[in-house]
Parts: sequence; structure tokens; C-alpha cells
Amino acid sequence: MQSTKGEKVFYGFNYLLLTLAGILCLLPLLHLASLSLSGKDAVLSGFVTLWPVEFTISSYTMLFEGTPVVRAFGNSLLITLVGVAASMLFTIFAAYPLSRRDFYGRRTLTLAIVFTMLFTGGLIPTYLVVSSLGLVDSYAALWLPALVSTYNMMIMRSFFENIPEELVEAARIDGSGEWRLLAGIILPLSLPVLATIGLFYGVYYWNSFFNVMIYMNSPEKINLTVLIQQMVKSQSVLQELNTMNSQEAVNITPEGIKAAGIMVMVIPMLVVYPLLQRYFVKGVTIGAIKG
Amino acid sequence: MKANSASEAVLRMDTPRQTGSRRKRFWQTRRFKNNLPLWVMFVPVIAFYIIFKYTPMLGLVIAFKNYTFYEGVWGSQWVGMDNFTNLFTQAQSVQIIRNTLVLSILSVLVSFPFPIALAIMLNEVRNKYFKKSVQTLVYLPYFFSWVIVGGLVVTIFAQTGVANVLVEKLFGKPFPFLFEEWSWVSIFLGSGIWKDAGFNAIIYLAALTSIDPSLYEAASMDGAGKWKQIRNITLPGISPTIVIMLILAMGRVMEVGFDHVYVLQNSIVSGISEVISTYIYAIGLQGGQFSLTAALGMFDSLVALTLVLISNAIARRFNKGLW
Repeated sequence: MQSTKGEKVFYGFNYLLLTLAGILCLLPLLHLASLSLSGKDAVLSGFVTLWPVEFTISSYTMLFEGTPVVRAFGNSLLITLVGVAASMLFTIFAAYPLSRRDFYGRRTLTLAIVFTMLFTGGLIPTYLVVSSLGLVDSYAALWLPALVSTYNMMIMRSFFENIPEELVEAARIDGSGEWRLLAGIILPLSLPVLATIGLFYGVYYWNSFFNVMIYMNSPEKINLTVLIQQMVKSQSVLQELNTMNSQEAVNITPEGIKAAGIMVMVIPMLVVYPLLQRYFVKGVTIGAIKG
Repeated sequence: MKANSASEAVLRMDTPRQTGSRRKRFWQTRRFKNNLPLWVMFVPVIAFYIIFKYTPMLGLVIAFKNYTFYEGVWGSQWVGMDNFTNLFTQAQSVQIIRNTLVLSILSVLVSFPFPIALAIMLNEVRNKYFKKSVQTLVYLPYFFSWVIVGGLVVTIFAQTGVANVLVEKLFGKPFPFLFEEWSWVSIFLGSGIWKDAGFNAIIYLAALTSIDPSLYEAASMDGAGKWKQIRNITLPGISPTIVIMLILAMGRVMEVGFDHVYVLQNSIVSGISEVISTYIYAIGLQGGQFSLTAALGMFDSLVALTLVLISNAIARRFNKGLW
């Protein structure tokens, strides 16, 4: 089909605006990456925009030597891996019975669970429960209160509900028990939704900030988000560095080391981003149709 | 496999013995046998909801008490509505409730059109690779934690940041972006759009795929330009989705995310940037005023519940209710 002149103008504008939108999402990252890789004089005089000036990796050397960033990274990883495993297990344990039409109390239990999405006790009473269980300063305080996300559970439940009843009946006739039915038929058929929800939980735990800040008192237990936030807010980040390496120390700036810290959080996200994009888009559409 | 054999053991133990009576008891029926393993799975889930969701709701009684650490939730003295009276008479807490409403209503109003525009624009792209690339870029910020986004924003708009290097070149002196109330609010709104607009476009993109392409062909035959097609076909086609998203957004008006405000706020703009969630953190958890902030949290939850119920009632009129 031949485009008219008006259409050509429209498409031209459209491509231009979308290109701008895409670039706008990338520019701040490029700028921070450049800051983290630039020398002291260039950063202080404001020469750094979108590429490194006086290229150096001093900021990263100092970050890894002088701050507990490696330990915090390990903590983030531990929080995420255990958290995802536990949350997935119990979300399945919640979603599967609720998806079964012959489950006693299905209606009442679903209502009672959905109600917790609408009304919550709020921060202070939840904190009091967690602290009265003696969980403060242990990672259980992050995992247990977040064990089942009701939203994720409802998505999984509606996926399970759409698995054809005949498959379940056939397995039943073959003599499979519920556990074998779940592990052998339902879960293998639900891999897309399991991947989606696993990633939902993964991003939740990896990015968790507030809970770590309020429940973790020991500095050696904090995760990457809290550590980086403390560095970004700090007025004296250079003095707090714990390092002997004075040669490198003369070539770094507060901006450079903060930018390096932020990049350490950004890079793992970029690595898993292809997976995230694929399954999150799916998850949003599943949630929207059923929601 | 281990779980399988364990459950079979449970099943075998509960296999009904011959009782002689012909009528099956409830625990001898097939439905009961099928239900038993389901309940074994479900018990920890119930425990979770009781301990971490319903117990805190009971814990809200401290909003009507003067909670002290030594007396505990149940031992503390009742004070009736005192905490609520304090909340609504203190200038500070009234301002915090106002800030929460201002920031969240502005967020909804200002950021709402962006995902719609983005989705319509992406939908008009004919080059598949270009569309994919733009999508990949604009979805990305959604996955960053607010700490990353806050770090980017604070670095860029700091007094010595790159934004001020530019401003200084143009106007001769830097501008305190993060320390003036109006520019702080703009940055707050802008960072929200930057992070979420791309990802929120997905839902509209999905809605756009359901529009019949022959409508566009017919319109184009009749000589309708692109603008007219968007106004008369695209927008009406996704208007149900727009309505439901707007209603849902209204239901979430009380939710100003803690992280979003916390990573951007500073003491100079606290007149606008202190909101319910950051206040509960600062005065409640750090300051120890548990009862007062529990009352504030309860007020927050109740308003949110009311808003959700109202918005759902409206959504039902469009046959789009959540329940």
C-alpha cells in the first residue's frame, strides 16, 4: 500500500519519538557507567557525559577493596535463591488445592485469602509479629512474611484451573495420588507460569530494600540495595572506605564510587534481562486476562 | 520422588478399614481420600496467612492503646480514640496525609497517559526489529530497584551533577533541583514515569491486538488519515482497558511507595516529601511511637479498602469488576 504524504510525516514523527524514548531509558545508565570509569579530574570538572574521560577502573578497585560490596552481593544472592525456592514451593502448595473443585472449603479459603489483598494490618503490627517470633536480624524475617504473594498465587491458581479436567481424571484412574499428579502432570504442564512467577519472586527478593533495612540490624547481613543506598546517601563515602591502597585512593571521587556501586547492581539485572522481559510480558498478560 | 512415597504412606495409613456397615462414613469416601493430601499441603499455607496476615490485623488493637514494649500488645492500657484524635489534630500528621494524597493523585493524573501513548505509537511501527528494540529499552527500567533509580536521579540532578553542568553553561549558575519543592515533585513524577511507563504499556499493547485490522483498511479507503484513525478506531478500541486501568489506579491512590519517596527525599523538601509510609518508618519504627503510627497505618488501610471497594463498584458498571 502506498503511503500518503500525511502518513509519511506521521511515521517519521513516530519513529523519532520512539527512538527518543528508547534513548532516554539508556542515557542515565550510560552516564553513570561513564562516571564510574572516569578519572578524578574529569569527574570533578564536569567533563563526563556519555563516555569515560581519563579511563580508569580505580572506582571499582576501591569499591571492591574498601567496602563490603562482595559480601552484600553474596547476601543478596542468598536472600534471592532461598526466598524464591521457599516462595515457589508454598505458592504451589496454596494454588494447587485452591484450583481443585473438589477441595473442601475452597470458596471460604479463597475469600479469606483474597481479603488479605484488600486489608492489611500494616507495617507496625506486622513488625511486632515478626519481632515477637524472634525473627529480627535473621533472614527468616525476609522470607517468612513474604512466603506467599497472594497476587502470584492467584495467577498460578487460574493457570492450574485451566488444565483440562480429563488429564487429571485419566491420571486418577491410573492410580496416581495427589502428590504424583501434582509433580508428574500439573507442574510439567505449567512450566511457563512457574517461570514467570519464579522471576516475579526473584526480582522481588533481589530488589528488596525496606524489609532488609528494618529487620537486619547487623551491618554484615545487609544486602546490596541497602549497602548502595547507604553509600549514595552518605556525605563522607570516601572517608568510610576501609583501605590501605592510597595510590588508587587519590584518583577517586565520591561520585565515581557511588556510580560504581550503582553499576554493580545494574549489571546483574542486565544479564538476566532477556529472561525477565520474555516471562514478565507473559505474566502481565495472564494476570490481565484473569484479573 | 521422596514426597511421593511419603504421601502414599499417609494415604495407606488412612485407608478405611472394613467396618461392616454399608453406608460409607465421610472419611471413607473417595473425596476425603483425595482431599487429605491437599490438606497436608495447605496446612502450612493456612498457618502463614494466620500468622503473617491475620495476626497483624488483630495487632491493630494497639491503635486504641498506649503500647509500651514492657506491657506488650495485650497488656498495654486502652486509650480509646486518643491516637486518632492526635493524628487529626496535629498539624504535622495532617500535612503528611495531605502530602500522600497530593503526590499520589498527581502521580495518577500525570503518568497515566504515557503508557497509552507509548502503546499506540509502538502499535503503529511496521518494522518488527525497531519495535522489538524500543520495547527492550523502555521495559528495562521497570526491573531496577528504586535504589538504582534513586541513585541515578540523585547523581544526575545533584548540585555538581551533569544536569547542573548543563544549566550552568546555559544560565551561569546551578539550580537546586532536589531542594525546591516544585522541582522535587517534578523529579518524583518524572522518575516514576521513567521507571514504569514502558512496562505499563504492555497491557495496552495486548488490548490493541484485539482491534480488527479491517477497520483500519476501511477507514483508510474512506480517506481517514492516521490521526483520525487513532481517534476514531484505536482509542475507542482500547477504551474499556483505559477505563479499568484508571479505576484500578484510583483504588491505589493511598499507595505512595515507600522506596520511591525514601530514595529521593531530603530534609529540605520534607514539607512535601514526607508521606504516610516514610512517617510510619521514621516516627514508629525509629521513634518508637508504635500506637500513634499503628493508628495512622489503620487509617491508611481503611481508606485504601474503601477506595478499592468504590472503584470496583464503578468497574462493575462497565462489567469489568474484579469480583
